[in-house]
Amino acid sequence: MNGLLASSRRPARRSALAASRVPRGLTPTALVAVVGTVFVLIWGEQYTGSVFVLAACYAIVTAGMAVQIGFSQQIAFSQSVFMGVGAYGVAMLNTHYNMPVLIATPIVLIASALLAILLGSVVTRASGLALAVATLMLPLIAVGYVSGTGFLGGAVGAPLPGTLWPSSSASTSVALVGGGLIVIAALAVAVFIAARILTSDIGLELFVLGVDERTAAALGVRTPRRKLELFVLGCVFAALGGAVYAGTQQFVPETLVDPTAELALLIMLFIGGRRSVIGAVIGALVIQYLQGASNWVSVNILVVEGLLLTVVLLVDPEGLAGIVTTGVGRLRARLGSEAGAQGDAATRIWRSRRPDAGNAISAEAGATAEPGAASAGTAVAGTAAAATRPAGAAGAGTRPAGDGRLDGEPREGALLEVRSVYKEYGGLSVLEDVSLTLPERGLFALCGPNGAGKSTLLNVIGGSVPPSRGEVILSGADITGRPPHERFYQGISRTFQSVHLIKGRTVLDNVAVACLASHRSSIATRIARSRLDDAREQASRALADLGMAQLAGREVSSLTLETQRMVELARALAPNPRLLLLDEPASGLSEEQRQRLAGVLAAVAARTCVLLVEHDLALVAQVSERIFVLASGRLVFDGGPSDFRSSPVVNTLLVGS
Amino acid sequence: MMKFGNLLIAGITTGAIYAMFAVCVSVWYRVSNILNLAVGDFAMVGALGVDNLYRVKGLPLPVAIVCTLLVVAAFAYVYDQVVLRIAQDGPQRMDGIVVTFFFTFALSFFIDGIAKMLFGTDVHAAPALWNGASLSLGSLHFERAGLLVLACAVIIGGAFWVYIRFTLGGKALEASGENSVGARIVGIDTRRYRRLIFVGTAVIAAVFGIVESPLTGFTYLSGATISLTGFLAAAYGGFRKPGRALLAGLFIGVLEAMLGGYVSAEYGDTVLYAILAAMVLAWPRQLGFESAVSG
Repeated sequence: MNGLLASSRRPARRSALAASRVPRGLTPTALVAVVGTVFVLIWGEQYTGSVFVLAACYAIVTAGMAVQIGFSQQIAFSQSVFMGVGAYGVAMLNTHYNMPVLIATPIVLIASALLAILLGSVVTRASGLALAVATLMLPLIAVGYVSGTGFLGGAVGAPLPGTLWPSSSASTSVALVGGGLIVIAALAVAVFIAARILTSDIGLELFVLGVDERTAAALGVRTPRRKLELFVLGCVFAALGGAVYAGTQQFVPETLVDPTAELALLIMLFIGGRRSVIGAVIGALVIQYLQGASNWVSVNILVVEGLLLTVVLLVDPEGLAGIVTTGVGRLRARLGSEAGAQGDAATRIWRSRRPDAGNAISAEAGATAEPGAASAGTAVAGTAAAATRPAGAAGAGTRPAGDGRLDGEPREGALLEVRSVYKEYGGLSVLEDVSLTLPERGLFALCGPNGAGKSTLLNVIGGSVPPSRGEVILSGADITGRPPHERFYQGISRTFQSVHLIKGRTVLDNVAVACLASHRSSIATRIARSRLDDAREQASRALADLGMAQLAGREVSSLTLETQRMVELARALAPNPRLLLLDEPASGLSEEQRQRLAGVLAAVAARTCVLLVEHDLALVAQVSERIFVLASGRLVFDGGPSDFRSSPVVNTLLVGS
Repeated sequence: MMKFGNLLIAGITTGAIYAMFAVCVSVWYRVSNILNLAVGDFAMVGALGVDNLYRVKGLPLPVAIVCTLLVVAAFAYVYDQVVLRIAQDGPQRMDGIVVTFFFTFALSFFIDGIAKMLFGTDVHAAPALWNGASLSLGSLHFERAGLLVLACAVIIGGAFWVYIRFTLGGKALEASGENSVGARIVGIDTRRYRRLIFVGTAVIAAVFGIVESPLTGFTYLSGATISLTGFLAAAYGGFRKPGRALLAGLFIGVLEAMLGGYVSAEYGDTVLYAILAAMVLAWPRQLGFESAVSG
């Protein structure tokens, strides 16, 4: 993942190779810098060159948008406004205070950052569509303000005497070429920063945030902070684009801030490729080139843009960058298939030797790993076989003797205490006076009819739902008011009722998300370094523990449901949690698959505390050492599996009389 | 008090227009999970098309109206058959924000460009359908075109409501949006409903453009503004709820008129947008923003 094209699509193996060869983000930066410099030096004084430099100004903005809107899916329409802040700021400092543009630019950038922090701390409280609609007002307000007050020329626009090139005595051609080179340098810096962030461990955080904010929070991502950082990043990039725009055009039109400008920026981003920094740059280039061409195309630019956007998105939603990536991939595959025809044949033979590979995983494993490697299915089954015995022992209600061997700690008091928790939605009472205590290790189950409040209780423990009353205590510390990501740091890990994997990423990355050490760092630190490789290493160990190492490079949506659930389990286990919350991990699995899962769970319970919500009573009674039953929000049963089987309450509630 | 009354009338008139576009956006979103950002452009084509055929080409007004509406309907049909079919019914179904926003966004640009080619860049309007001075009731003034807009809004809005609420087609339409796979399994042709409502809302938008344009006048760029207001009102109605979208549209129209009249004619819109932004931030859940669009 060198950030060159549609970085999200690169499988993990290749990215590791790329990382060892070239430093992160260097390829796109070098590309932009070299091509840009050559172009400006050759055509800088001509009209083509001025169009190119203008495109580069916009490309700085779209590079920021690729990070904020494309990659992290935080759709905020603040760019045109902050382009205006940058441009008008430079114009004002230059006109009224005679400050050179090159000195005004950093001042304006700092001011924009402060303004963005102020504004962002209000608007980024909103998510998804609310964020989009709230920020959509920004250009509308800005254009009303500029034209209404006559601010710096009002509807006419503001000219400025200074140029981006610092020397005022320089000839026009030197100022043009020099200014152009400064813009290219600014663009190269912007691309470098954007590409470095996207390929870092925080880049992975941002991707998850974009796909599903709730999952991101449950995996330890500090979503409010990341959203604010993204907003500020987008705004500062936009302000930089605006500042160099003012310096090279020597004029700031009112149309720079209006909603149409925002739409134009979005078109550039989506034609180029929303998740790719280079794609965003190419998008800006293409649109500005088409607009600048003085012929039929520029006269009817709206028709051309509309058609181009439609066609590009129909071919590939990831834009031009996606099309190029797919094309290159196909070419590589064709070249590779000629060279590696032998290996391919071997795979085919191996596949055909396993006619029972109805379980998709076996066949898949054959395709990705060397022939003869154990399939995930059998590996998991192996783990299961090895782990069934401790499960039996735990089932009897006594803990296996060697349970402390993993960390050598003596067994202490309770790990988790839920103290008389109540939860009401409006007038509806979902949980009523629920209390339970879980020790450091073991497997515990939470049962009950539909609507009994099982998932709500799990959410209260996980932190995504605040209780109306009551306390949640982890190792003696009250965590009732703590957000989900902090509970994750304290060792609470969970899965969801429906599979919440991150589509478009590999199995390895999905697990690595839970192993990131970047949560407390700011995005800015990721320009310098990334610990993504450490996280991936920890993730591959977690996968190997569950016998799934050969699946690491696979994209998750191509896996079967069972394997997806196993990946989720691997992700929940990878950070070595103290408390593992599993919401119906067996739903949708066949009996055979459930047995495998039971084996894995029993093995896990030997070293950590597992709370399992499950409908399958046979499975529950088989694996759990203690079972809690909820009915209408109340805890109606609490005991071992043998009591559970014979309890009349349980029989009436769950089995039917 | 008179001022208030007249402002209220003006507000309800513009509000009714916003409301109708919001209803068009939200009904189709309910079926297709796509936001139609080109709805205003269909209105613009309606107004400028009728003007062009009537004034420039010299066709009789009814013929001009019918021709324009037929062209709009045919264009919408072809667009659905070609673009939306590939995007949504193709081998790999696309979803998420690309489909939700950007196909109709591109369509909007395309229509605007075509309109610029055909109709030029000047301000035009379809001829008034109901001529005469504004009607007065005491010191309250009613624009005739405004009354026509309100009448259209009541009739079309009512028909929509009856269709969605009381007919089997309305239920099927709702099912298509909730779960298109499920709807197809129980025998609902979701594509047919997507097409039907898309063409229907395009024609309705064009009708409103024709009726409304004598009040404000249109250029080839007017569509984007109308779409924006429709989109906003639909957003405040939680996108899937045409009834709430209608109320939101009326509310925005009245608020806009009151701010323009009492606060500042110049900054009325700016204040309006600030209030709308503050509302989203203060009550995102209550206004239906959470869970409306994901991915």
